[in-house]
Amino acid sequence: MDRNSIKDTGILEQYLLGELSDSQRIEVENILKEDLELRNYFNKIEDDFEKLAMENAITPPSGIKDSLLNSIENSITKEEKVIPISKKSNRQFYLAIASGFALLFMLTSGWLFNQWQNSKNTVEIVQNEATDLRNQIQTLENSFNETNSWYQAINNPNTVQLVLRGNQISPNSNAITYVNHTEKTVILNPKGLTKLDDDKTYQMWADVDGEMIDMGIIPSNKEMIAMKYIDNAESINITIEPAGGNDHPTVEQLISNVLL
Amino acid sequence: MQDDLGLIQRLQKQDSKALSVIYDKYSGALYGVILRICKNEEQAQDLLQETFLKIWQKSNQYDPKKGKIFTWAYRIAKNIALNAQRRPYKLIQNEDLSVYENEETHESEIDMLQLNGSLKQLEPHHQKALQLVYFNGLTHREAHEEMNVPLGTFKSYIKQALKKLREAYQKELFLLWVIIEKMI
Repeated sequence: MDRNSIKDTGILEQYLLGELSDSQRIEVENILKEDLELRNYFNKIEDDFEKLAMENAITPPSGIKDSLLNSIENSITKEEKVIPISKKSNRQFYLAIASGFALLFMLTSGWLFNQWQNSKNTVEIVQNEATDLRNQIQTLENSFNETNSWYQAINNPNTVQLVLRGNQISPNSNAITYVNHTEKTVILNPKGLTKLDDDKTYQMWADVDGEMIDMGIIPSNKEMIAMKYIDNAESINITIEPAGGNDHPTVEQLISNVLL
Repeated sequence: MQDDLGLIQRLQKQDSKALSVIYDKYSGALYGVILRICKNEEQAQDLLQETFLKIWQKSNQYDPKKGKIFTWAYRIAKNIALNAQRRPYKLIQNEDLSVYENEETHESEIDMLQLNGSLKQLEPHHQKALQLVYFNGLTHREAHEEMNVPLGTFKSYIKQALKKLREAYQKELFLLWVIIEKMI
């Protein structure tokens, strides 16, 4: 649409009167934005219509203005007064709920922490007890196995029991040996030997063709002990030797012997 | 003639004093339009208040670059008045429970609704054309049917009427200018 046809069609008058559709209205507004001459022409039409309206004005009753301003003041004060209060009370309401939840969580988590600590302690005690029991069982089992093995050894029909009695050097001593020539084992019960000083120990020897062969040191704290089996031994002898044992027996300190 | 941009900015910032100034300036002109459309004083007063409430609430939608504030306010007033015509207004109930529209006011208003000013100097068909679209709220289409002339002819009536009006205004201005000159 060129400038003159816009003037001729009367579309500007219709635009002013608000008769156009939205799309037409936007089109006219865009044209007016760009065309200064048309814009001035439109301003003149606006002025004409405004004067026309002013000349035909009818004064409304004065009460209308008061009631208009009142209703506006009311809406302003309502907005200013009511909304902040309701916002505040809303916020307080939510804060109260939130703090309620926070307190609840704090209490329950305190209680749960306590329960957890108790459970932890209980589990620890139970674990310790279980460990103790396991250790006891282990000890009992070991002890049983040991005892059983001694018993098996002693109870073997091929085992010979020999008692070694102390001579005048150690008259109260006695020891029991169990010799099995088939399985070539020697087991000693040294319980009956008199206690020695810390720097001395008992040692066992086998006599083979007049030569004394070491069968081992006898520990003082054992009930049963396996000693070395020596082939062709004619007798078993016990001497008192310096702590740690000796290469050759101290014959003066022989306290007991038994023939095989 | 430029609108007071400061006044409009104050209105858009919801300054009720700005609305008061605008009311004083335009309420008569807008009331003249509304009353001529609905022809009922009581209703027209309600609609005038409704119009200014809308001007207040929608002031941010007004763009001074697109036209004068009076043009914008006129469109609001006209729309509110035309919409009110489409819905039945207060009916008055009498004793036998039948209803009728209160027409008494119509009679007394006829004088008031007569058009005044430069418009009266125009030829009758120009007067009629402007009255129909501007004061009775008819569209161009409705108005040319009402006057029983083709749409193109009707549009040229409007154009010529506005041109004559402008000439009349300028004559008044010239006279005013002459009077002022003489006084000085």
